[in-house]
Amino acid sequence: MWMSCGFFSEAAPAGSSPPVKAQNKEVILLSAEQKQKILIVDDSELNRAILADMLDDEYEIIEAENGLQGVGLLQQQGVEISLVLLDIVMPQMDGFGVLEVMAQNRWIEDIPVIMISAETGSSHIERAYELGVTDFISRPFDALIVHRRVVNTIMLYAKQKRLANMVADQIYENEQRSSLLIDILSHIVEFRNGESGLHVLNVRTLTELMLNHLVQKTDHYHLSPSDISTICTASALHDIGKISIDEKILNKPGRFTDEEFAVMKTHSMAGAEMLENLPIHQDDPLVKVAYDICRWHHERWDGRGYPDGLHGDEIPIAAQIVALADVYDALTSKRCYKDSFSHEKAVEMILAGQCGTFNPLLMECLQELAPDLPALMSGSNSVAQRDRREMRNVAQEMRRHEELTASERTLQLLEHERMKYSFFADMSKEIQFEYTVSPPMITLSNWGAEHLGLEEIIMDPMHQPEAQSIMEDIDFQNLTDALRSTSPELPVVTYDCKLNYKGAWRWTQIVARATWSSDEPPRYTGAIGKAIDIHDSRMKLSALERMASHDALTGLLNHAYAKKRILERIETRPVASYALVIFDLDHFKAANDTYGHSFGDKVLVHLAEKLRQCIRGGDIAARAGGDEFLIFLEYKDEVETVISRIFQALCGQFEHFPISVSMGVALTSAVPGGYDALFHAADAALYTVKRGGRGQYRFYDDTMRETLSVISPIEDGESAHQK
Amino acid sequence: MTLQECYTAMGGNYDDAIGRLRSERLVQKFVLKFLNDGSYDLLCRSLEEKNYEEAFRAAHTIKGVCQNLSIDRLQESSSRLCESLRNGYTPQADALAEEVRVDYAQTVAAIQAFQKESAG
Repeated sequence: MWMSCGFFSEAAPAGSSPPVKAQNKEVILLSAEQKQKILIVDDSELNRAILADMLDDEYEIIEAENGLQGVGLLQQQGVEISLVLLDIVMPQMDGFGVLEVMAQNRWIEDIPVIMISAETGSSHIERAYELGVTDFISRPFDALIVHRRVVNTIMLYAKQKRLANMVADQIYENEQRSSLLIDILSHIVEFRNGESGLHVLNVRTLTELMLNHLVQKTDHYHLSPSDISTICTASALHDIGKISIDEKILNKPGRFTDEEFAVMKTHSMAGAEMLENLPIHQDDPLVKVAYDICRWHHERWDGRGYPDGLHGDEIPIAAQIVALADVYDALTSKRCYKDSFSHEKAVEMILAGQCGTFNPLLMECLQELAPDLPALMSGSNSVAQRDRREMRNVAQEMRRHEELTASERTLQLLEHERMKYSFFADMSKEIQFEYTVSPPMITLSNWGAEHLGLEEIIMDPMHQPEAQSIMEDIDFQNLTDALRSTSPELPVVTYDCKLNYKGAWRWTQIVARATWSSDEPPRYTGAIGKAIDIHDSRMKLSALERMASHDALTGLLNHAYAKKRILERIETRPVASYALVIFDLDHFKAANDTYGHSFGDKVLVHLAEKLRQCIRGGDIAARAGGDEFLIFLEYKDEVETVISRIFQALCGQFEHFPISVSMGVALTSAVPGGYDALFHAADAALYTVKRGGRGQYRFYDDTMRETLSVISPIEDGESAHQK
Repeated sequence: MTLQECYTAMGGNYDDAIGRLRSERLVQKFVLKFLNDGSYDLLCRSLEEKNYEEAFRAAHTIKGVCQNLSIDRLQESSSRLCESLRNGYTPQADALAEEVRVDYAQTVAAIQAFQKESAG
């Protein structure tokens, strides 16, 4: 019925859309401060532009030129996106791919998708619906249809979220707008009727005044404030059935013939039927009350009204009151068939029963209200009163929805947190990342993406060459394995490796936290984390390490560090045979005295170089202090040849200074008891050589047990005497 | 040349476009924009490189754009080409591509003529 009425067809082309509610909601959407966001995913810029043009007055439009980008934006902005318009055939990832990702992540439950495509095969459409699209529009599309379906879909989803988003100003707006809309509809009826348009407002105001007065007198009718509000709103629709009455009869100046009156009387039933035939909203209290009012606002208390001849309280109270208000306003207004009566005259006529019999209780109300009625009806007061009532309703709603407004606040807090996060992420100069297993995707912080020379969103990073070039495969594998083997209780992993910063490989520490689902058993869903460039500090550290472990003059290990290495070596292969060699330069003091200390240093550097040349890679050579040096080597069968070769190699000449060394050797096979014992033994052997005339090497034997030490006391060799 | 005459010249349906897009301003805006749409270049390039998957998508995009703007003649030929490439290359594709080239040239010529006159 509604659809057939000329003035609705423009507003509701999509067939099933609910005209009144739809319009109403749309107004609210428009009035919301923040525009809702629509994501358009289409590979043709022109197609996106056409769609954007249709919608960008009312909505904020964001665009993606392929499915991958679309998924990225969905990942980023989530439910901030109110609707997705999705093409099917696109490069990178097609529309079905996007839907699959949305289904996997359950985004499709919160974000409606309308598919728009030139594909018209029913298998495509079927598949789209199976994957959860709300609607399918085929090209070429009609601007109005696209617009309407977008509005309807957003409304449908908005309805679900409505409670969550309920805030005071919206409720307030809502009530005002819905009254406004109904007023507009009723005015259309009135204009057709040749009336002033004030009739609806007056009936509404008087209905409200009567109802408020009635509930003060009696609670017989169990009217809550919200019932009153509904009745007042619905009162505006009382004459809607007049739309079906021929204009010639409707606007006839003189008296009706019996036939004409019979036609005229059909308007109450016609209005009721319109409401009854509404395809939806049958259970809406507003529709139910409006039905009562339309059908029975010409019934009378004594049963002499029409169309059903109901008696007394068989007539719903809403219809009784609207009937009275209707009569009062008809009397006080000028009509095509009569002049207006004064307020006093009108009240008098009604009370006298000249316009039919009314509920005695309502007559009392009218009598009591009568003195103030002209002032109350004059407008400003009734509006003020309405506002007060609406404010009261808002307050009640707010109390009822406390938990929901709390969640609204939570959303704001979340928004705030996110702003804070992205600010600090930019400030911190760290690479921050989020990795999800399904869909396989890495999201990088803005700064991070820039420094690695990557996109912020990387789909399928395992098969994306740019992403792969950032990290060695083995490191990626190790890191992934480490994350997967965490648990929800201990989810954090720290991993050091080199990353490729636009061609420069730098040491980086990755600290990541695996994310686990709350299922039982928990599923690994990805990770969040950051990568910190530790290259400089790591380089500095290794320089410091080198400084601490090496002798500055010769570049050989120092004694302490050599000892550490020797102990490690013995520990790793305790059964092998080792030799510890200690030697010093003969007559070194004389060289220093004769040629100066810098010459002495040159001799030491020369000797160190010789030493380096004559030992094997695995041997350990160190400057033990002063002019004493140390060699630690592993041997298999025979050791003397090796020692002799080293000894010969070290001797020689440096700038006219003859180099001769004295050398003591201790073998692990002969000296049990660990490093300290070994060192002491080599030292004793050296002492024996010194005492026996220098320029030789000797192996330790038991005869040297009580021998004194050469090296004692020297700083680095201190440990040799702690026994 | 009016926009309506431009439509006649390019074998389009002016009334349908206005009926669906609801305003002459909008139709004119997007018809002019059609000149800058890169899908045709992409189509030619993809065909040259024998990248038929890309060519399919490009033809599909042209078809979609033409549908939106009721440029029927080019829409029909691009649609036929599109179908001939849906599952990879077929021998008919070459002739169909030639049709698209002819129709595209006519369409662009009509829009350019319209653009020139409406600007001048």
